[in-house]
Amino acid sequence: MYIVGRILEIKRLTCRIKAFTVEVCERVNTTPGQFMMVWIPQVGEIPLSIAYKEDRLLEFIVAKVGRVTGHMHDNLSKGDRLAIRGPYGRGFTLRNVEKCLMIAGGYGLAPLLYLSHELKRRGTEIDVALGFRTREDVFYTNRFDHVADHVWVFTEDGSYGIKGMVTEVMKKHVKLKDYDIVYTCGPELMMFEVVKHCLEQGVKVEASLERVMKCGIGICGSCILDPLGLRVCKDGPVFDGEVLMKINDFGRYWRCLDGRKVPIKSRFNS
Amino acid sequence: MVGSSSLSIELSGLSLRNPLILASGILGTTFSIMKRIEAEGVGAITTKSITREPRDGYPNPVVVELEYGLVNAIGLSNPGIEYFVHEIKLAKRLLKIPLIVSVAGGEIEDIVYVSRRAADAGADAIELNLSCPHVRGMGMELGTDPIMVKEVVESVRKRVSKPLFVKLSPNVTSIVEIGEAAADGGADVLVAINTVKAMVIDVYLKKPILSNRYGGLSGPAIHPIAVRCVYELYENLGDEVEIVGVGGVETWRDAIELILAGASAVGIGTAIVRRGLKVFREIIQGMAHYLEEEGFSSIDEVVGLAHRR
Ligand SMILES: Cc1cc2nc3c(=O)[nH]c(=O)nc-3n(C[C@H](O)[C@H](O)[C@H](O)COP(=O)(O)OP(=O)(O)OC[C@H]3O[C@@H](n4cnc5c(N)ncnc54)[C@H](O)[C@@H]3O)c2cc1C
Ligand SMILES: Cc1cc2nc3c(=O)[nH]c(=O)nc-3n(C[C@H](O)[C@H](O)[C@H](O)COP(=O)(O)O)c2cc1C
Ligand code: FES
Repeated sequence: MYIVGRILEIKRLTCRIKAFTVEVCERVNTTPGQFMMVWIPQVGEIPLSIAYKEDRLLEFIVAKVGRVTGHMHDNLSKGDRLAIRGPYGRGFTLRNVEKCLMIAGGYGLAPLLYLSHELKRRGTEIDVALGFRTREDVFYTNRFDHVADHVWVFTEDGSYGIKGMVTEVMKKHVKLKDYDIVYTCGPELMMFEVVKHCLEQGVKVEASLERVMKCGIGICGSCILDPLGLRVCKDGPVFDGEVLMKINDFGRYWRCLDGRKVPIKSRFNS
Repeated sequence: MVGSSSLSIELSGLSLRNPLILASGILGTTFSIMKRIEAEGVGAITTKSITREPRDGYPNPVVVELEYGLVNAIGLSNPGIEYFVHEIKLAKRLLKIPLIVSVAGGEIEDIVYVSRRAADAGADAIELNLSCPHVRGMGMELGTDPIMVKEVVESVRKRVSKPLFVKLSPNVTSIVEIGEAAADGGADVLVAINTVKAMVIDVYLKKPILSNRYGGLSGPAIHPIAVRCVYELYENLGDEVEIVGVGGVETWRDAIELILAGASAVGIGTAIVRRGLKVFREIIQGMAHYLEEEGFSSIDEVVGLAHRR
């Protein structure tokens, strides 16, 4: 059943991204990497990663891409109610991590923000690389300041921070072998590169995937990954790199609402 | 340890290693998840209901979780038969257990077409979903009218020689009347029941939650309804057809109850939400134990026992 939440604050982070802080009526037990299904009555319901949690406050970072996210950006304001179910899915590994690297692309930083705070509490040493397209897209880098030892910010055109793709951090800026684990979230082709490189270097890696979600509880079959038959909503959204390398769909195919597969390239190039 | 009592059954000529069947619409969308569910021990798999054209289904929210069940209005989202033929072929190459392809549609012509394509692609049986309660202009209309039901089943029967299952809706005055029509049309197996028409309203937001407003209730809440329907069907049609009991089965007790009422096999759906995919193995072990304990040598002996006076 749904938990009712009230919007306490909306922050405009970039022209495409807003952060919503929601106060929920009961405490929810969550772990970083999990997501919630957020229902805006008469508009729709979408999966959103938990970007931050403190007591009964949940923060969501929302990129405006379509109908529901568009409505959230344009029509919701402080005090409005929404309904949330979850948390769902499996999150990131938290145990036995002394030193980690996080690699995020765009709003993919959402689950990693929550993760970084949780790991900090556990005494993990954290390095973070955040990638954006251009200066106007950069947001929330400061939220990592007091939890991370190093924060690298990349823009593709060099208008802010380091020029280049965020994946270059693995090759040029750090010694990958120093880390117990690399966590990544962002565009799937970016994550594909990260996972492949980490495994080649023998470093454990986890990535958080997105697929169309309907039920969110592992029964409708709209988020299945071939050929292992894994459900992103239940067996994921966070998967181990070794597993991802056995998933032919990873970095290649996305399923549309009717369940047919389409190549991922066409989605992200548009 | 499972003893010597046998759980294997013959259902309309199909050999099942045990009487558990994955119900239609719960997973069953891709060869890969079917393969995974086979590994969990299930006896046969029913696919998601497939239509002639692809369907996006209804917008979210499409499910509401309740304490005693689930209300869904997925809206028959499926990739259409043209695409799904490949999924059937892949599944048939990989699966050792029987594959039942569920077929839905609003027009007889479409239902016959999809059934034929599915059978040609290798489906071991066809299940007609005439009972989906939440697709306007589809399932409901066909499945509630005995004359239409007979006509649809007859039309498919003429063109498809594989075992023919017909799924029944509980949202009718007399499920026996509809079951009879299906049997008259040539159905080999009746599958009962589909979800029970339902609605959930959020008291704070003061609106029906599902985008389609109406949905279908499944899970423990409907189990006694399923038991009653199977009992009635067996009592009236037990000599003509076999029955698959579906509805709120979460434990071996629920499964045995349906078998005692007259089901030869049992469908499992919503239980996966709360019990996970291991539910199949749990129920199989429980049923095997029950057979031993009660002194049956085969599950066949249990079918319809509740009718004996
Ligand atoms: C586990 C998970 C966690 C997520 N976390 C976040 C988050 O923290 N912040 C955030 O902004 N978004 C997140 N998303 C993506 C978000 O759910 C989608 O952007 C949203 O569902 C789009 O809804 P819409 O109605 O606005 O767009 P629609 O009108 O439905 O579609 C517009 C465009 O977005 C694409 N799209 C549809 N669904 C998704 C999807 N699930 N993921 C990506 N693109 C999609 C469509 O293909 C289309 O091109 C997450 C998705 C998943 C599966
Ligand atoms: C999410 C969901 C989707 C379903 N989709 C279909 C479907 O496509 N075709 C169909 O014949 N039945 C469908 N059903 C009904 C089930 O097959 C089953 O008859 C019903 O859920 C009762 O069994 P259960 O309580 O074990 O789930 C669906 C049920 C659920 C919960
Ligand atoms: S969203 Fe329904 S199974 Fe994953």
